[in-house]
Amino acid sequence: MPPVINKEKCKACGICADVCPMDVFFGTKKGEFPVITYPEECWHEGACVQECPIEGVIKLRIPLQMMICYK
Amino acid sequence: METQRVICDVLCVGGGIAGLMAAIAASENGAVKVVVAEKSNTMHSGAAGMGNDHFQCYIPDVHGDYEAFANDLLYGQFAGRISAMGREAMDFWFKNSYEIVKLWESWGIPMKYEGRYEFAGHSFPGQTLNHLKYSGFNQKPILTKQAREHSVEILNRVMVFDLITDGQGKVIGALGISTREDKLIEFEAKSVILGTGPCVRMWPAPGLQDFNRPLPPSCTGDGRAMAYRAGAELVDLELTAVHAGPKYLARAGQATWIGVLRDRYDKPVGTFLTKPNRYYNDMTLEVNKGIFNEYIKSGKGPIYMDTRGMSEEDLQYMLYWMKHEGNIELIKHLAEEGIDLRKNAVEFMTYDMHIVGGIPYNSKGQTSLEGLYAAGDEWAGGISCAAVFGWSAGKNAALYATSVTSTDLDKVKTDINTRKEMLQDLRSRKDGPKWQEANYALQQIMRDYCYTVKSEPLLEAGLETLIRLKEKTHQYLMAENPHELMHCLEVFNLLDLAELVFVGSLDRKETRGINFIRPDYILTNPMLDAKRHLIRKGPDGLPVTEWRKI
Repeated sequence: MPPVINKEKCKACGICADVCPMDVFFGTKKGEFPVITYPEECWHEGACVQECPIEGVIKLRIPLQMMICYK
Repeated sequence: METQRVICDVLCVGGGIAGLMAAIAASENGAVKVVVAEKSNTMHSGAAGMGNDHFQCYIPDVHGDYEAFANDLLYGQFAGRISAMGREAMDFWFKNSYEIVKLWESWGIPMKYEGRYEFAGHSFPGQTLNHLKYSGFNQKPILTKQAREHSVEILNRVMVFDLITDGQGKVIGALGISTREDKLIEFEAKSVILGTGPCVRMWPAPGLQDFNRPLPPSCTGDGRAMAYRAGAELVDLELTAVHAGPKYLARAGQATWIGVLRDRYDKPVGTFLTKPNRYYNDMTLEVNKGIFNEYIKSGKGPIYMDTRGMSEEDLQYMLYWMKHEGNIELIKHLAEEGIDLRKNAVEFMTYDMHIVGGIPYNSKGQTSLEGLYAAGDEWAGGISCAAVFGWSAGKNAALYATSVTSTDLDKVKTDINTRKEMLQDLRSRKDGPKWQEANYALQQIMRDYCYTVKSEPLLEAGLETLIRLKEKTHQYLMAENPHELMHCLEVFNLLDLAELVFVGSLDRKETRGINFIRPDYILTNPMLDAKRHLIRKGPDGLPVTEWRKI
């Protein structure tokens, strides 16, 4: 479930935990890798992706039940 | 539980567009200490948290005659809400909208497209376009910066859950909790402005994931609920709306799409468009957003937003505005799924129901309580509404604050202690239901007893069950940490408002629009057209309704 964090690239700056409107990163400690405590509360708006200072560190995975329908 | 007291001239509850604009205006109009208490983080909170691309406004040099412009407002998006506010408020809104456009431009929010004011969308073919396309992707960080430069103190991760009155109906402060640590915050404020946004999570989500919503699931009608408990009037609370957009991916808008709504076999569903048009999107949606549900339920099949056939330029134009509307993740998902909007048509659906009534406020942002102001999605809504009325509420709340001499919270210490004990009970229970159970139970009741079609027996039965749920929730709910405590308080707010929706529905003995159908009162009563349905807490603590022109 979203978001997915690349720990090899993450600098643990904490910005994602700071800005997330739903606080899915609740419990993240300063200076440590972000923890995704409440993935089911993700709104998929992408604030964490936008504010992360290193491109590609955070990716939102759209859950299968939200997969778009088309023809 | 640790207690902190914050003393200020103006407290803005909610740091969305309305709250930040109010805070900046209050600071510019003489308020020395202005505080914004925001449940999440003002950088990306609220319905406009990830941006927006349409700002409803009147620009004299573009639109010319105001009367002709105003007349067309009563047909497009928000037509019902605009007419509910009344002509005076509508005129105030649109005659002040251009000032905000210029202000935002000066702050660094691009309000022009390729050097000109570009208007598109939300209007019927041939009518005046009143939605300014603007590049609002970064609007919340810019407004947050402006607020800080105006010496506004922003307290993020603070949920205000109740107002404090002096016992005579005057608001003198508010109570909040930190959503990160066990802390109660007592706000002693000369005036309070509510800007907590819309009310989501009262009805079930459109798909099987509660936070998959078109409006932010963090907005749970907190302002409306605390205003009611403090004695303020609410209006038309039983009237509801639904949103619509791409099926199952509800975190997406609808109007930026350039396309024609067609059925499975490519037959247009509406009568407004036959091919994609970048200036006039398919208004079938604005006429009836429930049409997708109706097609599925009646066996007619799915409806698609058919974008096929548009030019490459139109596609890039649409994607540009989608980004600014905050739909970057949708754009990425389309790419990952290999969906080419010039070749594929995306299925749309009707999203969840939400209330559109709220806290009635006038052009000064005043509510029915002294010292209490409101703006934005607390009632009518939309970006420009939030900006214009937020700005006005901030200015007037600051002027009012200069006349207030005393806001001594210690005189109402008993009230504060009662709420503190309630918080401690929630945090100290070792077993019991959590907020999700209560929220889902509420959503079931609203879906099964208070959806579009409702009658007296249905509403009475639903209200009985709701009251039982409410009692149990207050008795047994538990929170393992401050985050869960926030959700418990949200559910309490939703339950209070749901009760008012039931009471208001029972008292509205008519059918109105497509979302309020009473088989036991099948006619729309024209005598109620010009009146609003007010509801407030009576002397015995129970809701009292009244029909009145406001």
